[in-house]
This record gives sequence, structure tokens and C-alpha cells, in this order.
Amino acid sequence: MSKDSAIQANDGIIATPAPQRVPWRPDLAGGMWLPIAAVLALFVFFSLASDAFLTLRNMTGISGQASTLLLACLGASFVILMGSIDLSVGAIVLLVGALTVKVINVADIGAAALLVGLLFGAMLGACNGLIFAFGRIPSFVVTLGTLSIFTGAAWELLQGRALRYASASFEDLAIGQLVPHIPNIALFAFGTWLLMAVVGFKTRFGRYMFIIGGGEAVAGTAGIPVRRYKIYAFALSGMMAGLAGTLAVARLGAAGPTLGQDLLLNTLAAIVVGGTSLSGGVGGVHRTLIGVLIIALLDNGLNLMGVNQYTQMVIKGAVVVAAVLVGQDRGKFKVMK
Amino acid sequence: MSGADAILTVEGVSKSFGASLALDSVDLSIDRHQVVGLVGENGAGKSTLLNILSGILQPDTGTITLNGRPAAPANYAAANALGLSRVFQEQALIPNIKVYENLLLSHEGRYISYGQVMRSGEMIAIARELMREAGVEIDVTRRTSDLSFSARQLVEIVRACLVPVRILGIEHPVILLDEPTASLERADEEVFFRLMARMRQIGSLVFVSHRLSEVLASCDVIHVLKDGRSVKTLDPAETDERRLHSFMVGRERDADYYHEEEQQDAAERPAVFELRDLSHGGLYDGVTLAVREGEVLGIGGLLESGKSELGKGAAGVISPERGEVRIGGGAWEAPAIRRLIHQGLGYIPAERHAEGMITAFPVSWNLSLASGADLFSNRFGVWRSAAETRTTTNFIARLGIRARGPAVPCWTLSGGNQQKVVLARWLCRNLRVLVLDNPTRGIDAGAKEEIYGLIRRLTAEGVAIILITDELLELIGLSNRIVIMKHGRVAAIMPAPPAAKPSEQELIALMLSASGGQETRGGGEVAA
Repeated sequence: MSKDSAIQANDGIIATPAPQRVPWRPDLAGGMWLPIAAVLALFVFFSLASDAFLTLRNMTGISGQASTLLLACLGASFVILMGSIDLSVGAIVLLVGALTVKVINVADIGAAALLVGLLFGAMLGACNGLIFAFGRIPSFVVTLGTLSIFTGAAWELLQGRALRYASASFEDLAIGQLVPHIPNIALFAFGTWLLMAVVGFKTRFGRYMFIIGGGEAVAGTAGIPVRRYKIYAFALSGMMAGLAGTLAVARLGAAGPTLGQDLLLNTLAAIVVGGTSLSGGVGGVHRTLIGVLIIALLDNGLNLMGVNQYTQMVIKGAVVVAAVLVGQDRGKFKVMK
Repeated sequence: MSGADAILTVEGVSKSFGASLALDSVDLSIDRHQVVGLVGENGAGKSTLLNILSGILQPDTGTITLNGRPAAPANYAAANALGLSRVFQEQALIPNIKVYENLLLSHEGRYISYGQVMRSGEMIAIARELMREAGVEIDVTRRTSDLSFSARQLVEIVRACLVPVRILGIEHPVILLDEPTASLERADEEVFFRLMARMRQIGSLVFVSHRLSEVLASCDVIHVLKDGRSVKTLDPAETDERRLHSFMVGRERDADYYHEEEQQDAAERPAVFELRDLSHGGLYDGVTLAVREGEVLGIGGLLESGKSELGKGAAGVISPERGEVRIGGGAWEAPAIRRLIHQGLGYIPAERHAEGMITAFPVSWNLSLASGADLFSNRFGVWRSAAETRTTTNFIARLGIRARGPAVPCWTLSGGNQQKVVLARWLCRNLRVLVLDNPTRGIDAGAKEEIYGLIRRLTAEGVAIILITDELLELIGLSNRIVIMKHGRVAAIMPAPPAAKPSEQELIALMLSASGGQETRGGGEVAA
């Protein structure tokens, strides 16, 4: 027995990392085949189960519905990638939707309303980020609080009624069809998704989101401005929700009190089902498109099959829990809180 | 000496982790009413042996006999039931409950009526009785987190010592004390040693400590562990600290291993990194130091000396409450990691997995981690992936990192190669100062030597290095000057030129010496 082997013995105790079951791969499609297979399976299943499913009209409908969800998820995906959570996305969609309609009704600025929506959204998101980063409060609590604040403020604005607008150019933003059979909102959503996927892979912001989610302490020790990037992430999440809210009211022709209500569950579900882990550092915005398709297909297909609202909720909840069970590296946690 | 009076016998116990042997056929016998000392360097196998005795690990081979019956506890609770209890190095108390609840933790079942209702009055009375018997004056109804660190340690000691006898009714408990005095204050130490003397009347104790004087004073027999083996059994009456230590180390310092011939002569060169009056809430206090171009300034001290915290403070990872630093004679400023990195500082933390690297991520991502703001992104924030891959490939070749490529996740690398990736994170920058905290912890001998070689190469290029380490041989072998810290203050600064390196005994004496003042040895200078 030499000193070398003793030092190696030491090595064995301290340095050997617990073998991780799922190797982390930086490639685009890593771990994505299961969700993609789920999309295809749902597509085939609903095509067979319902005559109304595989029609041009329905596909146009799905693309419109899925677009709001996708837009709302894009920023929130970064937040979850960073290991935090944004519960206020749906509330921001509602509040920004209401605010934008108010603005349009005061001055018909048409397409420029998009900028107003982005700005309002970014401001609300930045509020979340500032409270989270400087208050050192868990993001869950912060955004649960602002969820209530933003919803209340929006209902205050709407006085419990749907607020209509009359602006053809604004309406055209969402339901016009630059490309036949594809509503403009879908083009917006897909284009923004592409942009965000590039941001995730090709920018410092995207890299830092992965790194903060993978090891915040490591990031801090290496001098990464963790707090500032946390605020950026929440601001981006709010901005995307603002965009979603503006385009959603443009599509629906009004801002109603129930706008964005289904988004609380649906955004989290789409992001997690897509394969971005709630533990942070694993996944990416590009995956969220797949998650959104799964949720949107489920919603649409179950509706067409005549499954009632309550059963749909049960099924969707089960899908989310199942996706986390299958996809998450639970070995990473010692204690689940 | 495994006489008829033995309560606990360990025979031929071995334990390996992967390819490495942590315990190699260890024999040990503990008599009734005996205090057995266990000493050895870090990694000698002390904790592994205690983990096996307390059921946390299972031996690969060998047998443990307790009270004449074979014992193979499957977990700590099972070991407890057999009469083996332990004080852990890290505190195992739950902070947000009352002291008495911690004392009787996991035994609440004895004090419950109607299935759920705790008879807290009875529990408090019993806890008070335990404290009285132990001679500890702590109000058991206080919240545990309101107690001082030292007092919490005492609570834990009382729990390990008295709960087996008084609550579980164990006739002759064996109490394993793993560095119990490391966090005790002076006054509490006396209480502890009185309790230890009393415990010997009712049970046996195994005492693990780095403080050799305490081991010599309080044990009946001392076993020296080295490289996973029990190398020597000593009678404390016939030995002293020096001999004990020579058995623990048992090897000579090897000048080649530390590339001592490459040590730069930095005495006349300008100071690159200066610390002025750094202080932080009792962890370190009024530290003023300077490192010269091409110099390795070693910082040693006991675990609680504040040396690691000082490293974090100087690098600005956790900004100190008071004090400034400057690099290259620039302006004095409170340390902040981001600005210091910009000025040419690098910092490598001791906890590689918690703070040093994200092992789930690729080599390239870990390498570029500290340079995202300048080297690897352009001014629009677009990541320069090609440059990142090129630099990583380059460093994999230059440092001989055994990784198949830049995209390989770091958890597939050995500890030594991981550490080289962390080093490369700073080497790819324009480095002037490198602060290293235990840079070779948990890596094998070959990789250690490579890292020592790298440190020498850096100093040859004029980089100033602060080396904080628990390994004495490394401290002596690599440093130009050695700073010994004690209770957060600089206790001594001594020169360590290749021809006249101080001995380990000298350093240990300084770390342990009771005097708090600053000492300097011939030719030594108190920095700036």
C-alpha cells in the first residue's frame, strides 16, 4: 500500500460524482424524441377519433389557439431554465391585454399597439424580477403575489365586463392571413419562437440562463452577474406575456375577464412537457414548441371528441405529472419541497 | 491486546470506493471503560472507519464484534439501537425546534399519549436531567438555533453520550466522537472533557481529533491510521506530539514532487495583489498581506482559522465587511469578484462540485464560465461558440486534460481532470493573480503533481498566487512564504526558500500555539 493509493482512496470518497443516469447532451434533439413521438401519436389518434380534427379549418383554429400559448411560454421557459418559476404569466397576459385595449380605445395606434404591449409586459415582468432578485424571496412566492395583484388590477380596469375595441389594423395583426390559412398571430408566434431559440443557444443571455439554472453558486464564484440576469429573465418573461396578451385581444376582438386564466396551468404544462426541467439547467426554449403542440392538440382534440371540461382538466393534469415523472432527473434532489 | 474485556472488536475491515482502497484490513479493539484515540491525516480513513462503526457504510470484508456478538448495523438507527452513538463533524441538530426536542429526537415515541399528543413537560424534565448529569448549563426550552455554535455542539455531545444509557437503557455504550472539540469555545471544552471523564465510568469512547495534545491528554491508547491502515498503536504516556505526528505523516517531503527547484525568487519583485485590513464578522479580522509577482504565498491554519473565508473575501466572492484590495498598484477598492476578474484575478474554490464547476455541463461551458462578459461574447451579446470550442480544444491539449472533446460533460472526467478544467477557466484569461483554495483536494497523486507543475509555470510567467491549503506538505513545498492563520488573524509569516523550508512540526506548533500575537521568524517580514 503506497501513499499514491491512499490519495486515490481519498479521491474515491470526495471526488467521485454520483453517477447520473441521464447524460446531459448539448445537442438540439437530446431527449426530445419522446415528446415529438407524443405529438405524432396525438395527431394520429385525434385524426382517427374525430372527423372534424384533420380539416383545414380546424388546423387554422389550432394554430391560432396554440400561438397565444406559445408566445406566453417563450419568456417563462428561460425563467424555468434558470431554476425559478413565473406564475404570473397568465395575469400579465390579462392585464396587458386590458391595458392595450384601453390605449387603442383612446387613440387608435393600430399595429404600434404591439410596442405598447411589449413595454407594459416588460415593466410588469421587471417588477417580478426586481422583487425576486433584491428581496431574496422565492420566485414562486413573488409571482404568486403578483399573479393576484395583476389579475385584480385588470378586473378593476375591466369592471367585470369584456372591453371591446374597433380598430381594423389592430385586428389584422392577429387574424389577418399574410400566408393563406395561417393567421398572422401564428407567424408572430413561430417567428418569435425561432428568435428565442437562437437567443437560447447563441447568446450570452441564453448561456447564463443555463448556467444559473445548473449551478448558481458556481456562476457567482465565477463573477457572473447573477442578480442582473435574473431580472432580465423575468423582464423577458413579462415582455413575451405582454406580446401574447396584445395579440390575444387582437385575435378575440376584446379583452375579457377570463383572458389568460387557462395559461397558469397551460404555460407550466407546456414548458415541462416539452422537457425543460423545473430543477433548472436542463432543457431549452426550443423544446417548448413541442410542449405547446401537445397541450394545444390535447385541448382541441378532446373538445372535438366531446370530452367535458372537467375530464379535460383531469387528463391534462395527469399528462403534466407523467411528463415530469418520465423526464426529470430526480436523483438531483435530496429533499423535495 | 484484544483482551477478554473488549467491548468492541474490529477485525480485518476493508472498504474500497471504486478502484481505491479507503480502509485496508484494519484491526482495532476497544476495552470496556477505555478512551481510544484515533489520529491520522485527512484521507487516512478515520471517517470511513467511524462511518462503518456507525452503520452509515458497510465494510467490504471483515467483522465487527460488539459485546461478544457480531454486529453489522445496516444504518445509523440500527447502530444506535446496538449502543453505538456518534457526534458528527457537521452538526446534525434541527435548528428550528427546541433543545429538548433535539436531545430526544427520534425517541419521541416514548413520550406520546393517545397516539399524537407529546408529553412535553415530561420530555423537558428528562432533558433537564440529562443536561444536569452532563454538567452542561443550557436551557433546554430554548430554540436550538438561538444557541451559539459551541453550545449546539455541546447539545450534540450530550445527546450522543447520555441518550443511549438514560433513554435506550444501553448497558455499556460506545460513543464515537468525530472532531468534537473543533468548534467548542474554551469554557465549553472544559465541560466536554469533564463529561468525557464521566462517560468513561459508564461506557467506552473513540476520540478522533487533529489536536494531538488533547488526544494525548485524554486517551488510554492511541491508534495511528495512515493510508487506510492502522500503522501504530501507542501508549500516550510513552509518546509525544512530535512522534505521533511523524507516525501520521510517515514520509519525507519530496522536493521534486513540488518542483522546488523552479521556485521563483520573488523577494525583490513588486507586489501584485495587496490586501489591507480585511475583516469579516469574526471569521477573519484585520488581515493585511501582499503577494509579489511570481510568488506563491501559502496560507495555512486549522479548519476554523478563517483561511478559506479570507480567500473568498480577498477575491470578492463574499465581500468583506471592511478592508480593501488592489491589483498591480492600482486604486484601493473593496473587493468585488467581477471587477477583480476584469483586473486579472482568478479564484478557485475548495468545493469543486458545489462552487467550482457544473459537472452536468460540457468541458467548454465550464471553461468559458468566467469569460462570458469579454472573451466569449461580442458586444451585442452573441456567444462566440467557435472561439469557445477552439480555446477548449487548445487547453485540452495544453494541459493534457483527458476528455474526448470540448462537448463532453464534466462528470465523465476524473477529479484531477475536472480541476484542470477549472484552472483552464482562468488560464485562458490574462491572469495576474490566482487565489487557490485547496486546489488538489480529492485528486490523485499524478494529477496533483501536474497541478503543482502548472502553478510553477504560472509563477515563472509572473503570476502571483495565494495558496490556501490544509495539506501541510503542499503548503511547505509550494510556498515562497507561509502565512499561518489562527482565529481569523495572521499568527505568523515565515519565509520558505527551497534551501530552508520550515518543518511540519514548526507549522503545527504555530497553528496550535496559545499566544495570539504575530510572530515572525528570522528574515521573515510582515507584509506591507
